[in-house]
Amino acid sequence: MELEVLSLFLQQGIASGLVTGSIYALLALAIVIVFRTTDVANFAEGEVYMASAYLAFFLIAIVSMPFWIAVPATVFAVLIGASLFQRVVLTQVAAAKGVSVNLVIATLGLSYVLKGIVRATGFGDTPRSFPSVMGEGSVTLGSASLTYLDLTILGAALAIMAVFFWMFNYTKIGRAMRAVGMNRRASQLVGINLGHVQMLVWGLSGAISAVAAILIAPKLLMTADMGVVVTLAFAAAIIGGFTSLPGAVVGGFIIGITENLVGLFVSSRAINVAPFVVIMLVLIFMPQGLFGGKVRVRKV
Amino acid sequence: MIMNPITNRQVLDLPIRESGAKNRNRIISGGALVVALAVLTVVLPFVTSGYVIYIANLLLVFTVLSLGMHIVIGEAGQFSLSHAAFYGLGIYTAGLLNNAFGLPLILNIIAGGLVAGLCGLAIGFLSLRMRDIYLALSTFAFGEAMQWIFLNWTPVTGGPNGLNFQPAHLFGFTFLSDKAAYPVVLILALVFVAATFVIHFSTLGRSFRAVRESEIAAAAVGIDVKRVKIFAFALSAFYAGAAGGLFTTFSTFIHPESLGFHTTILVLTMVVVGGIGSVSGAIGGAIVFGLISELLRQVPSYQEVIYGGILILFMMYLPRGIFSLIGRR
Repeated sequence: MELEVLSLFLQQGIASGLVTGSIYALLALAIVIVFRTTDVANFAEGEVYMASAYLAFFLIAIVSMPFWIAVPATVFAVLIGASLFQRVVLTQVAAAKGVSVNLVIATLGLSYVLKGIVRATGFGDTPRSFPSVMGEGSVTLGSASLTYLDLTILGAALAIMAVFFWMFNYTKIGRAMRAVGMNRRASQLVGINLGHVQMLVWGLSGAISAVAAILIAPKLLMTADMGVVVTLAFAAAIIGGFTSLPGAVVGGFIIGITENLVGLFVSSRAINVAPFVVIMLVLIFMPQGLFGGKVRVRKV
Repeated sequence: MIMNPITNRQVLDLPIRESGAKNRNRIISGGALVVALAVLTVVLPFVTSGYVIYIANLLLVFTVLSLGMHIVIGEAGQFSLSHAAFYGLGIYTAGLLNNAFGLPLILNIIAGGLVAGLCGLAIGFLSLRMRDIYLALSTFAFGEAMQWIFLNWTPVTGGPNGLNFQPAHLFGFTFLSDKAAYPVVLILALVFVAATFVIHFSTLGRSFRAVRESEIAAAAVGIDVKRVKIFAFALSAFYAGAAGGLFTTFSTFIHPESLGFHTTILVLTMVVVGGIGSVSGAIGGAIVFGLISELLRQVPSYQEVIYGGILILFMMYLPRGIFSLIGRR
């Protein structure tokens, strides 16, 4: 391969990788905040993302709502739905027998339900394209070219991450979330309402997934199986150590760029298996991830 | 890492008491259930037709799969989400050996179990380095990677076209129908059931449960924790591989699509809904959830919603499994 082509591929791969990586980062963020504050690995994350995309599609294309109403309506609806799931289902599962294998199975149940609803409505039968409000056209950075839509995705994702970090680090509710993540009982002792915080975290994670879905949907063909990208988000979360928020974001970008470079330099079939290889290698050689901190010794 | 120090016991919430100590009510109703099942299995081939026998065969295979999952998660307390991969390894090994050499059925099944078991041995080493959610995710990744191999190694597995098997044979008798295969599948499945009960009450079973309750305490009483954990994974994978071999006695076609994560989830659900940690629970869960998932095929458009709803409701209101209803005071 000539040097010029190599440099073009490299630049384009990194630029496109940043765009898709920002979506993985958002989804990984949604997984990590839920895991930190409620100890639940949300295996329904991909289906929440998929169902949000279909809800937005339904509101815009079928109800013909204007874009600026449909987007907040979708995000709000998913926020409510996710917090209700936490409130109604997960608290009951935890109260009945608060163990993680049961909680994980409950989220798997949710993922089947959401996928089933989308299939039952008939929207999932054929791949659909999501309407885009961004104009056609592209910008050239160096020798990489990005469409206006790509730039919007990257910009919006970065803005949401910034808002989220501000909220998590500098506001009272963010401090409450971090406290719950560190020690549940102690956080209750200092007057934090555990139920409210956990519900809010699920709601926020749903909202982030909805935003990610709406951002990326115009670039994809929507199918009921589009939630499988969540394995990439899990890989991103694992690279970041599974409990670290900056780790999830960095992991998302690493996965996005790797995926695009593998696609350009190796083969598009290898893309599908790459995340699982990454998950296994990271867990075998670096079980704490890049940002996971030190191992804690458990006692009898 | 910010995590509360939780033990395996809290993660799975397994019953501490051995299943031997029960009240009389439970023994009577449990005994009645076993007798009813025994009568049903014997009478079945004489009163029903092909499809029902096919379902019965399938349920027996699920029972072996579920028992394998029971050993790793119920007895040894280790998360494993790659069961479908081991099952697939067993199916392909047995099927391909049968196609290539026409070996007798039993050898194919043993070979399937051994190949899967060796793979399980390798996965067992993972469990030495990680636990809980990390172990769950890495075994999940292994399962998905194996499904990718089944789908893409076209020269061997047939890839997305699936793979056809020749009918299996044993002692010069060729199994051409579900009905012909049923007695063999039944007997071999019963062998696995018996083996699991033997393991459950043996020193090995007690070592498994000791590791599940506390690795440190187990090590303190002289149990080789590493060896026990690796052995649990290998044994569980052997069960899954043998179940795959059993599958080839009555089915002549496999598609990688049916060897994905949802199969692992189905088996995990059987073990959890049956009542995690109990052998009879794993069997009962396999029969009940195997039937549910087969019956739901009749309503394809609502299949997923109903299945997901059942999972959620079980976790909300019957977390200790279906058998917690029997003989409850």
